[in-house]
Amino acid sequence: MILPYILRRLAFLPLTLLLVALATFVVLRLTGNPVDIFLDINRTPEQVEALTRRLHLDLPIPAQFLIFLGDLLHGDFGESLQFSGSAAEVVWQRAGATLQLAGTALGLAVLLGVSGGIVCAVWRDRAADAVISSIAVAGQSMPSFWLGMLLIEFFALQLRWLPTSGYGDLKHLVLPAFTLAAILLPNFVLITRTSILELMGEQFVVTGRSKGMSRGRVLLTHILPNAVNPVLSFLGIQIGTLMAGSIITETIYAWPGVGRLLINSIFHRDVPVVEAAIFFIATSIALANLAVDVLQMLIDPRIRRA
Amino acid sequence: MYRRSFSALSALLAPLLVIGTPALAADKVLTIGAAVFPDTLKPGIGSFASQSLLVQTNEQLVQRDNKGDLQPTLATSWELIDPLTMRFHLRQGVKFTDGVEFTSEDVVYTIKYVQDPQTAYGAAARISQVESATAVDKYTVEIKTKAAFPTLLRGMAEILILPKHYAEKVGTAGLAAKPMGTGPFVFQEWVPGDHYTLTANKSYWGGAPKVDKVVIRTIPDGSTRVAALVSGEAQIIEEVPIDLIDQVEASGISKIDSIATSVGLVLTFDPTIKPFDNAKVREAFDYAIDKPLILKQILKGKGEVLDGQVLTKSALGYNPDLKARPYDPAKAKQMLVEAGYDFNTPVPILTQNGKYVSDTDICQAIAGMLTKIGVKATVNAVEGGTFQTMANGLKMGPLHMIGWYSLGDADFATVWYTKAGHRTLWYSEDYEKMFTAARSTNDEKERVRIYHEMGALAYKESPSLFLFGLPSLYGVNKDLKGFGAAADKVLRLTKVELK
Repeated sequence: MILPYILRRLAFLPLTLLLVALATFVVLRLTGNPVDIFLDINRTPEQVEALTRRLHLDLPIPAQFLIFLGDLLHGDFGESLQFSGSAAEVVWQRAGATLQLAGTALGLAVLLGVSGGIVCAVWRDRAADAVISSIAVAGQSMPSFWLGMLLIEFFALQLRWLPTSGYGDLKHLVLPAFTLAAILLPNFVLITRTSILELMGEQFVVTGRSKGMSRGRVLLTHILPNAVNPVLSFLGIQIGTLMAGSIITETIYAWPGVGRLLINSIFHRDVPVVEAAIFFIATSIALANLAVDVLQMLIDPRIRRA
Repeated sequence: MYRRSFSALSALLAPLLVIGTPALAADKVLTIGAAVFPDTLKPGIGSFASQSLLVQTNEQLVQRDNKGDLQPTLATSWELIDPLTMRFHLRQGVKFTDGVEFTSEDVVYTIKYVQDPQTAYGAAARISQVESATAVDKYTVEIKTKAAFPTLLRGMAEILILPKHYAEKVGTAGLAAKPMGTGPFVFQEWVPGDHYTLTANKSYWGGAPKVDKVVIRTIPDGSTRVAALVSGEAQIIEEVPIDLIDQVEASGISKIDSIATSVGLVLTFDPTIKPFDNAKVREAFDYAIDKPLILKQILKGKGEVLDGQVLTKSALGYNPDLKARPYDPAKAKQMLVEAGYDFNTPVPILTQNGKYVSDTDICQAIAGMLTKIGVKATVNAVEGGTFQTMANGLKMGPLHMIGWYSLGDADFATVWYTKAGHRTLWYSEDYEKMFTAARSTNDEKERVRIYHEMGALAYKESPSLFLFGLPSLYGVNKDLKGFGAAADKVLRLTKVELK
């Protein structure tokens, strides 16, 4: 039941990626001639010609797109203009750092967000709820570059517990991961809280309590499994937000990931790398969404049947 | 199951235990926070940022110092043997870090490499007049030029000498993957987007560096860079944001080191748009801008007000007789009225955002000052790519702000006011003639005389309003000795000492 579904979804993946490729291709060519932007102001005509030919810019646009698609089928985005090496390789080198950061941030956001939401719901309208909910609302409205600076100021400059920036061991990961997690965390708190509170009024919960089940057991066996789905749906939608947030977070903390690479490559109009990076991000989002859907099916039989 | 999750947990926690372990005390490690990190180590590709990294391992025949003056490096002396031939005498007994001796063959190889269009060498245009290089003997090279080429030496200061034997063995990709040369440091590791590590070349011909290791980290965000300096993680940082100067100086452990660059920031008119074809209108705008105030308030006094010319004080050809026009809004207004200026003309000022120090802020201030005398000025800040496209099409509107590097020689900055430069629509036949004349003689006195005249002409005609010589600002740990801010933003680290 699930396997055919996964295969069906995977079959649509190339279509999604084709659309992404088309959009990227068009936008990059609409915003100016990459040769003009990439080459130094002191360029010679020979250099312009060599690069124009290398990027196939001397051909009509449809032909350029076909060549681009043909190369794409071989996983070939072309040679990076600014880096030595293939664009795919350049992006792949940075992919680990981004996945590490985004994965940790997502884990933190879910773990802290869901626990916070449970606390809020269980102790509804008590001190804990008030404190956590207010922090969540405040956090929701805090831009990450500002939060990042505050965290650096406090943990790296005042307390000196953590390094200000950079990539390396676990202590380098703490601040960026938390900053990125903070984009989603408040929402996880609020969604978990709301969905638990809604479920608390449901008949099966009342039945469970009246059979003599303890509050804790009802929460664990009846409420939580049902509360997971809204959280997962939200998570699926927000993977894109997380990737977008990683661009800012990576810049603040000098994290060598794909987000910063992308921005840098856009500024230099390193067309092959921009295309490869967007492709990587699009694929990650598509696969993450698929994973979320499959998880939901595993958890909720109703979705499986539908 | 439990065992597995336990070992996974300990694997996760293991790095935590390492936290706080001090680095080996014996190694003197210098850490630098770089603002702009090169995207490739391919020699000659990219900007000054890659030059700044590569110059640690590879050297030129002549090198600029921090002030921009040329110093003998791999060449000890040179002379013109005829107007089209320069003879370089190479430093003897210099070895590449793999032990092979540096000779004239390496120079000849490098020039050929630079001239090959396939290389796309960024600085190739700086030696565009070079015809060929030949090895006279092991330590003598002659460079022939197509015409008299007075900026040959300045141009050669951009060309990093490559080891022929190594380049032929590993190819261009190999050179970029592992640079190797005669420089003060030996390449150890490059992690793109993260850091660049070098170790000292103990047998460097100019004396071994005083640190054992240099780590150049990229920290793109200005405030994070300052945080790294203030926390002691980095001992030198590049490009301190102007508004964080106070934070650096108040920290107690670091200070600001600044020097004027050779970048002249100018506001250029499009004289094909009326009424900016009228030199009087352009001149009137000049009186309306309070440059000393902007220097003091926005640039915090770092840098200089340009003296009515694009050249900064240190450049060859700077005209000491010119002075910036004083701030006189009443006179500006009167001149505009006399010229019949239509005060309803919209004047958008085009600028890039974040390319130069406080660029957008400076334009905002100028727009405000122009508005004061009734000119309808606004600011149009665009992204670099968009700006570049507009610049290439010469469609930048009535006014745009741009910075021109002279790198110490008027030729490099004045070219942008000629037709060949293809960057300004202002055209003066006299200026063109003088530019060509100055370029075609090796007589430095004559060149300076011509540049003075060109400066005076541009002052009178005001194709641009000459604003500021931009500063280069470094944050430096107080315990550090032997480092100096560089006008060309290239890191020079041989004399740097850690306490």
